[in-house]
Amino acid sequence: MDLTLIVVLVIALALFFDFTNGFHDTANAMATPIATGALRPKVAVALAAILNLVGAFLSTEVAKTISGGIIKEGDGGVLITPQLIFAGLIGAVVWNMVTWLLGLPSSSSHALFGGLIGAAIVGAGLGAVDFAVVVSKVILPAILAPLTAGLIAYLATKLAYAITRRYDGKPDGRSGFRFAQIFSSSLVALAHGTNDAQKTMGVITLTLVAAGLQSSGSEVQTWVIVTCAIAIALGTYMGGWRIIRTLGTGLTDVKPAQGFAAETATAATILASSHVGFALSTTQVASGSVIGSGLGRRGSKVRWRTAGRIGIGWLLTLPAAGAVGAIAAAIALLGPVGVILDAVVGAGVIIGIFMLSQRSEVSASNVTSEVADSGRAVKIKRNPKPKGKVSK
Amino acid sequence: MIDWFAFVLVLVSALVGACVVVSAYSLGIRLLTISGRTPVVTPAEFTDAITIVTPAEIRKAEKQAAKAARKSPLTDGQKRLALVGAYASFALSAIAVLVGVYLIIGEHLFKIFS
Repeated sequence: MDLTLIVVLVIALALFFDFTNGFHDTANAMATPIATGALRPKVAVALAAILNLVGAFLSTEVAKTISGGIIKEGDGGVLITPQLIFAGLIGAVVWNMVTWLLGLPSSSSHALFGGLIGAAIVGAGLGAVDFAVVVSKVILPAILAPLTAGLIAYLATKLAYAITRRYDGKPDGRSGFRFAQIFSSSLVALAHGTNDAQKTMGVITLTLVAAGLQSSGSEVQTWVIVTCAIAIALGTYMGGWRIIRTLGTGLTDVKPAQGFAAETATAATILASSHVGFALSTTQVASGSVIGSGLGRRGSKVRWRTAGRIGIGWLLTLPAAGAVGAIAAAIALLGPVGVILDAVVGAGVIIGIFMLSQRSEVSASNVTSEVADSGRAVKIKRNPKPKGKVSK
Repeated sequence: MIDWFAFVLVLVSALVGACVVVSAYSLGIRLLTISGRTPVVTPAEFTDAITIVTPAEIRKAEKQAAKAARKSPLTDGQKRLALVGAYASFALSAIAVLVGVYLIIGEHLFKIFS
């Protein structure tokens, strides 16, 4: 098959993935400010789109992790071919769409890594994947980042409540945190751009290197940054309309002080991680923060069943997308016919799921964001009595 | 080789950053309340997650805030001091965010614009 054609196909598919990533993740940055009423949904969505666009230009560390780290580069460039990257992307997109339709918690990022790794192992053998990088920059951050964000959000929520607490029953002014949420949620959207848009940049760069159009180890090209930034911003904006339409179905009880603490924790964790090149899932970090900040409120308890379901969904994503990617790679190895078959099946699944989602009624099960879902993992009593002394 | 130091770095920097920002802002709200200007920020749009607040309830909250301010035992000078402190806290919070963002992406920004 013509090399240029397959490169164009991969880039188109990668940009489509980037678009779905933004589409899927608007809710993550903007679920809490919309839930507390800090921002009008339309304003929140527009803000998220713009800041994702800006964020995409601010860092390339994560892109480097993907293009130069996960997939090993041999003497003559990378061992992986554009056909295999194509198969990996098909795996990621299909798994993403399926989980979206079924309302299963998943992570676009891990779907992408899973698909790529699965395709690389089938196509080029175990030696093509640098497992040390996979463990240190993908798997360990996947486990540690949500815990980090959760811990920080827990402490920040405790701090925010302790500092503003009044035992004399006078107004505490906590609704003032709504104003701060405008900025903290903007920071989350910005951080999202610095981490998620780059995953696609990394894949496109990897493809260009694999096709011999770019030397290995070189910087991400400007046109790649620009197109990825635009794709994720467009996706974010379009995804927002879905949220507006379904507002109120997937939101949990979040107080302004708690929302502010959660957003600050999310933004700080993602930005710091982007800086050291951890390719983490923003969905998981935001979920960790929401759970942590919920626990920071008085009278809260974890609903382990819900939390467990979310955790299992996360664990499943990488191997499941890997399996789909591996199957797609096995088909792609048949030659041009295989790649065409992959493309047709992939397109069929995407169009089919899109039609299904249009036909089926919008309900909490298929539109809820994972972050809002994780809010339900914490049970909070209404108006619990303060433990401290109450002066009359 | 797993770079454990990077994990510690992420945890510590994010923890310090987030706690400084949240504490400074909370302190600002506390001082603003002490100075007699309790903020009442109403939701921009009501979702089913928020208890609906009627205009009457908003007026009531504002009245309560005003009453608390009138009854405050503090002198005008002390209130003014609290107000200055509140604005200083908000400024500290904003500066902490900007410094944090600068530390992370400043270098990259220089590369883009130079």
